Amino acid sequence: MKISGSYELALPPARAYTILQDPAILARCMPGCDHLNRIGETEDGHVAYEMKMKMAISSVQGLFAGTVKLADPNEPSSFRLIVEGSGKIGFMKGEGVLTFVESGAGTDVRYEGEVNVGGVIAGVGQRLLDVTAKHIIKKFFGKVVGAAGEME
Amino acid sequence: MSTTISVTEKLVGKSVRRREDPRLITGTATYVDDLKLPGMHHACILRSPHAAAKIRSIDISAAQSHPGVVAVFTGPDVAGVGPVPCGASLPGLRVPHHAILATGRVYYVGHAVAVVVATDRYVAADALDLIEVDYEPTAAVADPEKALEPGAPAVHPEWPDNVSFTYHQEGGEPEKAFAEAEVVVKQRITSQRLVPMPMETRGCVAEYHAAEKSLTLWSSTQIPHLLRTLVGQMLGLIENRVRVITPEVGGGFGCKLNVYAEEALTSFVAMKIGKPVKWIESRRENFLCTIHGRGHVDYYEIAAKRDGTVLGLRLKLIQDLGAYQQLLTPAIPTLSVLMMPGLYKFRNISADIVGVFTNCVPTDAYRGAGRPEATHGVERMMDLLAVELKMDPAEIRLKNFIGNDEFPYATATGLSYDSGDYAAPLKKALDLVNYRELREDQRKAREQGRLMGIGISTYGELCAFGPSPATPAGGWESATVKIDPSGKVTVLTGASPHGQGEETTFAQIAADELGVPIDDVIVLHGDTAIVQYGIGTFGSRGTAVGGAALYFALKDLRAKIKKFGEMMLESDDVTFSGGVCTCNKTGNTVSLAQIAGMSYRAMRLPVNEEPGMQATRFWEPPNFAFPFGAHIAVTEIDRETGHVAVSRYVAVDDCGNIINPLLVAGQVHGGVAQGLGQSLWEQAVYDDTGQLITGELMDYAVPKATMMPWIETAHTTTPSPVNPLGVKGVGEAGTIGCSPAVVNSVVDALSPPGVRHIDMPMTPEKVWKVLEGARA
Amino acid sequence: MIPQNFEYSSPRSLEAALDQLAGGPDGSADGSTKILAGGMSLIPLMKLRLAAPERLVDLRRVPGLNYIREESGVLHIGAMTTHYEVESSALVRAKCPLLAEAAANIGDVQVRNVGTIGGSVAHADPAADYPASLLALEASVTLVSKAGERTMSVEDFLVDTMTTALEPGEIVREVTVPLEKSGAGTAYAKMVQPASGFAIVGVAARIGEGFARIGVTGLASKAYRARNVEALLEGGADAATAAAVIAEGVDANSDLHASADYRRHVATVYAARAIRQAISRKY
Repeated sequence: MKISGSYELALPPARAYTILQDPAILARCMPGCDHLNRIGETEDGHVAYEMKMKMAISSVQGLFAGTVKLADPNEPSSFRLIVEGSGKIGFMKGEGVLTFVESGAGTDVRYEGEVNVGGVIAGVGQRLLDVTAKHIIKKFFGKVVGAAGEME
Repeated sequence: MSTTISVTEKLVGKSVRRREDPRLITGTATYVDDLKLPGMHHACILRSPHAAAKIRSIDISAAQSHPGVVAVFTGPDVAGVGPVPCGASLPGLRVPHHAILATGRVYYVGHAVAVVVATDRYVAADALDLIEVDYEPTAAVADPEKALEPGAPAVHPEWPDNVSFTYHQEGGEPEKAFAEAEVVVKQRITSQRLVPMPMETRGCVAEYHAAEKSLTLWSSTQIPHLLRTLVGQMLGLIENRVRVITPEVGGGFGCKLNVYAEEALTSFVAMKIGKPVKWIESRRENFLCTIHGRGHVDYYEIAAKRDGTVLGLRLKLIQDLGAYQQLLTPAIPTLSVLMMPGLYKFRNISADIVGVFTNCVPTDAYRGAGRPEATHGVERMMDLLAVELKMDPAEIRLKNFIGNDEFPYATATGLSYDSGDYAAPLKKALDLVNYRELREDQRKAREQGRLMGIGISTYGELCAFGPSPATPAGGWESATVKIDPSGKVTVLTGASPHGQGEETTFAQIAADELGVPIDDVIVLHGDTAIVQYGIGTFGSRGTAVGGAALYFALKDLRAKIKKFGEMMLESDDVTFSGGVCTCNKTGNTVSLAQIAGMSYRAMRLPVNEEPGMQATRFWEPPNFAFPFGAHIAVTEIDRETGHVAVSRYVAVDDCGNIINPLLVAGQVHGGVAQGLGQSLWEQAVYDDTGQLITGELMDYAVPKATMMPWIETAHTTTPSPVNPLGVKGVGEAGTIGCSPAVVNSVVDALSPPGVRHIDMPMTPEKVWKVLEGARA
Repeated sequence: MIPQNFEYSSPRSLEAALDQLAGGPDGSADGSTKILAGGMSLIPLMKLRLAAPERLVDLRRVPGLNYIREESGVLHIGAMTTHYEVESSALVRAKCPLLAEAAANIGDVQVRNVGTIGGSVAHADPAADYPASLLALEASVTLVSKAGERTMSVEDFLVDTMTTALEPGEIVREVTVPLEKSGAGTAYAKMVQPASGFAIVGVAARIGEGFARIGVTGLASKAYRARNVEALLEGGADAATAAAVIAEGVDANSDLHASADYRRHVATVYAARAIRQAISRKY
């Protein structure tokens, strides 16, 4: 499933770039995320974090454990975000490039990537997968916008 | 001078209501899941969420210590159990070792990884969540054409090309025919993966008696005796100590014509824990790990003269096998090749099959098994040829049919068509729809800008499986008829009806042949301890082969009854009719009950006759039977959305003699429903990573009653010379005839803007896009 | 297909239900307790273990939640009223035919016999049938908790995909629809997803003298009012012209059954159909 979109942050690109690389901010903004623990750099040079997430949309709930990796840093214009998680209801891997483009006083954060899911959620959630992915991304950026606002 | 004998009214040919229905309708039938044995435990199976992965480790400790869990087994525990059998053989066939639990690797989503046995099913299901499997996902391939590309992920690392087998068949001189053809039309045609979807999922209960080393296995299967033989072999049990019982079976459609890992696994577990064990497949599992049907990508070429005379047909068939060979997996596409000439005089045929491994659940027999794909191909090609030559689709068919005087007809694929009048059902169907007027309606509709289509399909089927040399595990069937001392009749059939209604039709046959009321007859099946060895129910064979075996057993009994009658009436001029033997000289009679009683008391016996009144016959059919017919579908397409509405559906089937018109109509209706399902709605879709994304009924669209058009059925009757009943089989006819009629109809509707072909399922979006593409 | 363990209770009063809903470990609602209304969405999710509530509070035996009545020009429908009851109600058919039409389009007979209007709106499936009509009808929901009651428009209630304004501890008590004074015409046009019976796109239109209300379901992350279409209609545009803008700027849903582009297209088709039919039903 391809995903793409953009969000306006009221911060200059360099700040926007920094906060989206900040594990504390990422952990706060990822819906249902408990924490991100740095597990160091992977062999291919990615900064990697261990994560635990409790996803909940309406009655649907799932615990996911996995990793968040930040790769291909190109400060302040882009980096690659790789999120992998798995739990009893399935597993997901999302990979996308975040691009930071100056837009007036703020930054236009664009994302483009692909999400693959497996397990029960892939087999029975087809009808709501796309809309749910968008919902989660919307929530994430909503919180990032909030976090950015606090930092202004 | 003989007295008049009241002859019981003949039941064969009458719409006798199904004797099975009262128990089904009132909910008193016993299915596997209704069984409750003392001390019974429950198994649940952990399945792979990955299409391809190495199993690094499995931690079962938490599951093992979960309260109520009795045992947990994984791959290494069941290494001693034989592999899931593939019963089909082809030259050079690669058959992967199919262990009953994955060991080291998983090959498709749903692959069984571990089994939990617990005191109840809820506990077992909870414990599945406690098993930790460390998977290392590897690249998967789900599309058979992609699997054939160089560099594609290897499903089985030992065979990097993903090819399980190739198969070539040729008849006549195809090269020459194509070289000399005045017109050649080519088309890629797919037949998508489908989920067979019986109302009752699979399931089994196993009980092992250690002292006797005997196993009783209740399973929802179409083939109890073959299952007994094969599951016994897998488990190393002595065959006569294995008893398989099929309780009520809620539909199979071919998916229960198999031997599954779970049948051996449940038995293994029962043997290990020393308690009866039940495993019931969930609907989710049914999607993931019961065989799928179809899965073809076909490349067709048809050669013809400009006058419409067909010369040759070429096919490159790519069969998506899935990750393993189930019982008949590789044989299914060979049936497509056998039937590729359809009802036409194709003297020159060439076919190449490539059987391809994919990281998907195996494909195997699903209603029609190979023949719907073949019929879809040839019937689409005939329409494409008609379009190319600007001929009417009915005309081009009538021009190329095998003639009535040509039977038995030897096809270029090596079959001998038994009997036929192929034009008759087509003409009848054309009359029923008022074809000429209908085309006129279509012309007017087009003037109004409406997209109305008329689709014709004329199909032939290869049924009544089948002569044993051509059928894995044998193609005969058996019947025993026992008459009790009181004159009541018990039929034991080796066939294994699971919705077809043979408890009714076989009772009709027996009642007629013995001249007894139908209520005096019971039909038993599906218990290997009660019924003599049999093959089972599939391939439209129940009545055509099992019924024929019954006929011969009845014939033997009639002869014996007559001999008893002659003895008892002290005459050599005796007629057995209407349930009594009558002396044609004196008019004296003895009833069947008197005769049966005498045969058991045996105070006197006819010369060279044994006591008792029982006969068993194993009947080997000399040939397949070949039903045929014509279906016409009228469709109307919503130009704005692409939605297809079937406004009229006419099915004229020739299944030979008809034992029970009500049941034949039911078979045609059900078959057409599944044909419409494939045509319009159903598709088992795997994504690029091998996830089955139509894994529930919320996304996999089986036809519902409200989605069905009115189905008009009619028949022509051309008896089969292959069996004494003259029946040909009808279980798959509706499905086989349907999809080409509907697709031809939709393509016909879309032909004004220039659409040539559309693949199934013809969802609104697909039709709309084709239409948009044609407009552009 | 076997849910995780859960506790089940079947309270006999709304007060008891609210107490039990608020009966989390710290005495406050914590999301681990779910209300069971018809269960047509919740139970399948539980059987797939996608939802695993610790407790279910079944409203079936709570008296006073199943009714359809008219009070001073407002239609009141109790949360536990089944789709079939709405579909077949003489009152709804006569005074609010759009809602009966929407109810008749939900799922299949079995679902309509068990599923409830309160359950449907609370679940807020983005492809459910009711919301489009409730939006076009400018309906409201009344929510009740131990703290009291509040009423809000359905439009405010539907926040996002399966997300509503329901606070922990709150239950949907009833749905209210202001009844038409003038002779507005209404219609619901739906493209059905053949497997689930949900809407690929569903458009509810309510058109009267000088006003138009258009509710859309299935197209976006939640059901919404297409105000751009309403404005065009109110400005005198014809059905096709107005319907053509329905998907403008909408981030359309995409799935196996309909891509985003196709959904957008189908939305214009079904909007035009609903509008035309609604206009034809004006009296």
